[in-house]
Amino acid sequence: MHLDLETRTRKDYIREQKSLHGRKVMGVFPAQYPRELLLAMNILPVEIWDPPLRTREASAHLQSYICSVVSLGLELILQGKCSDLDAFLFPHTCDSIQNLASIVNDYLGIHKPCYFFYHPKAPYKRASRPYYISQLKELKSGLEKQFGELRETDLKRSVDRWEEIRKDISKCYLLRSEGRLNTSNRAFYSILRRVEYLHPDDFHPLLTNFLQSGRTETERQGHGVLLSGVLPNPPEVLDHLDAIGVRVVDDDLLSCSRRFLSGPVSNSDPYEAMAETYFSLPPCSTRGSAIEERLNHILKKIRSSRADGVIFLIVKFCEPEFFDVPILADSLKKEGIPVLVLENEINQALSGQIVTRIEAFAEMLG
Amino acid sequence: MKGWVIGIDVGSLTTDAVIMDEDKRVLSFSIVDTGYNSTDAAREAMTVAAGRAGLELEDVSRLVATGYGRAAVPEANKRVTEIACHAAGAVYLFPDTEMVIDIGGQDSKVIKVGKDGRVQDFVMNDKCAAGTGRFLEVMSAKLKIPLDGMGDISISARGEAAISSVCTVFAESEVVSLVARNCPKEEIVKGIHRSVVNRVWAMTRQLRVSGGVTMTGGVAKNRGVVALMEERVGRRINVPDEPQIVGALGAALFALREK
Repeated sequence: MHLDLETRTRKDYIREQKSLHGRKVMGVFPAQYPRELLLAMNILPVEIWDPPLRTREASAHLQSYICSVVSLGLELILQGKCSDLDAFLFPHTCDSIQNLASIVNDYLGIHKPCYFFYHPKAPYKRASRPYYISQLKELKSGLEKQFGELRETDLKRSVDRWEEIRKDISKCYLLRSEGRLNTSNRAFYSILRRVEYLHPDDFHPLLTNFLQSGRTETERQGHGVLLSGVLPNPPEVLDHLDAIGVRVVDDDLLSCSRRFLSGPVSNSDPYEAMAETYFSLPPCSTRGSAIEERLNHILKKIRSSRADGVIFLIVKFCEPEFFDVPILADSLKKEGIPVLVLENEINQALSGQIVTRIEAFAEMLG
Repeated sequence: MKGWVIGIDVGSLTTDAVIMDEDKRVLSFSIVDTGYNSTDAAREAMTVAAGRAGLELEDVSRLVATGYGRAAVPEANKRVTEIACHAAGAVYLFPDTEMVIDIGGQDSKVIKVGKDGRVQDFVMNDKCAAGTGRFLEVMSAKLKIPLDGMGDISISARGEAAISSVCTVFAESEVVSLVARNCPKEEIVKGIHRSVVNRVWAMTRQLRVSGGVTMTGGVAKNRGVVALMEERVGRRINVPDEPQIVGALGAALFALREK
């Protein structure tokens, strides 16, 4: 199974999911959405974060100061590479993704259904939870018109399944922070990011196998850093950290721990359980969390993982992150924590300057 | 084996070598153009420096390479970033150094440094060539003024042209407009220097340093830029006699430490 997944392209996998399992496939833009709901309806969510493309067509529709998550996502559609997708889902993550939703739905004429998912932003109030549940049900109703009725039992099963997967992802993070998951930075994120397109039937065994095979009792060698920002991207950053012996011991990445490490679910009603998950997620710039909460969260992670410093990997022009990062970086430095802020386009090659900055940061750690 | 070491800094424009003895005395140095082959440039710089010190390369016990081309020096015993090397070199020359401003050919760095010469924090320009030596090169070519003459010209300026843009390309078109309006060249050059200083000043403010400031890199030879930077930071700035070799000097110090 493992080797097979290694060699199959995402496109082949999607086609196989459709032909062998009769699944529908939804192209999902970042970041937060109820995957349990989609999976319960036999819809495979395939997330669109960083397609390996060069922007060609999208520039005609977007301003030059747009983040590359949005420009490459649009490029993927404009280059006709989404023909296997049955619909798109646009969560309300930021203004840029909202505008992208409008461009795709209102102007492109792509003839694919577009769904929108609104979630409450912090500070959460008494109405936030009922509002979130109402949005879940509204999305469900919309999807049912295209994909058929959702059975409550399927949803319950899907919620429970995702809860199991999240527990194992949490285990991965815990072992990693304790230095007991002895794999390269690249391997760690390569496995985690498979959740962006693999069905739980494939992802969960892959994850548990990874947990078992990478587990070690030896202590961590060398320096450890915490990654914050949007994505563990470009992956060459991870490679370079591996090459100079710096281990990513934990993260506060939007695409990773900020979406996965929620508290345990106690409610048996699937909608309440999904709400419980959402409201216990770590603080995040795209959900309007207070800066103090984010800072405390990062500090807690630094302490528990014994990270020696923090690297912010920021996608250029990512508005929500850039509101927070200068304050977070400054506050961490005041706490005596070394900080490196790297700003990059998603598919931009690692420049000599960035290599130097990473190495100089590692030298600074001692 | 004698205690001589070499530090070599393979930069984007020049490659510099410093030979040092075990008492931390500089025996010789060299500065050669990097050209397209960093490995050859490194060998040339080392050979020239060794010749000036009356040594053979085989006499050198340890070699540390720094700079963008540090990976292209196969003989290196160790590779250290230019950030750490400029910090070490600056503190060696000026022990009161708490901040290093290195304006190089392709980038600028501002480094906060501890009394032990270790880097505490740093900032690098990552947006464009504005605030770097390359910016001055472009302007020098546009104005047909030799690069090494720009400092003296700007010192003699009575007024100063406003170069508002922080982008090299747009600043160049501003300069074209100023030339077309017959603005005195001294004033244009001073305005260009101010533009570089403002850009670097924004970086220095992020590090909040109150102690000694040392400028390194080729642009530190430009008296006009140094004068405006001193005006900005409000105190005298240390400028080495050979600001271009500070990175190589720091690399030599690392070579001694590692012996």
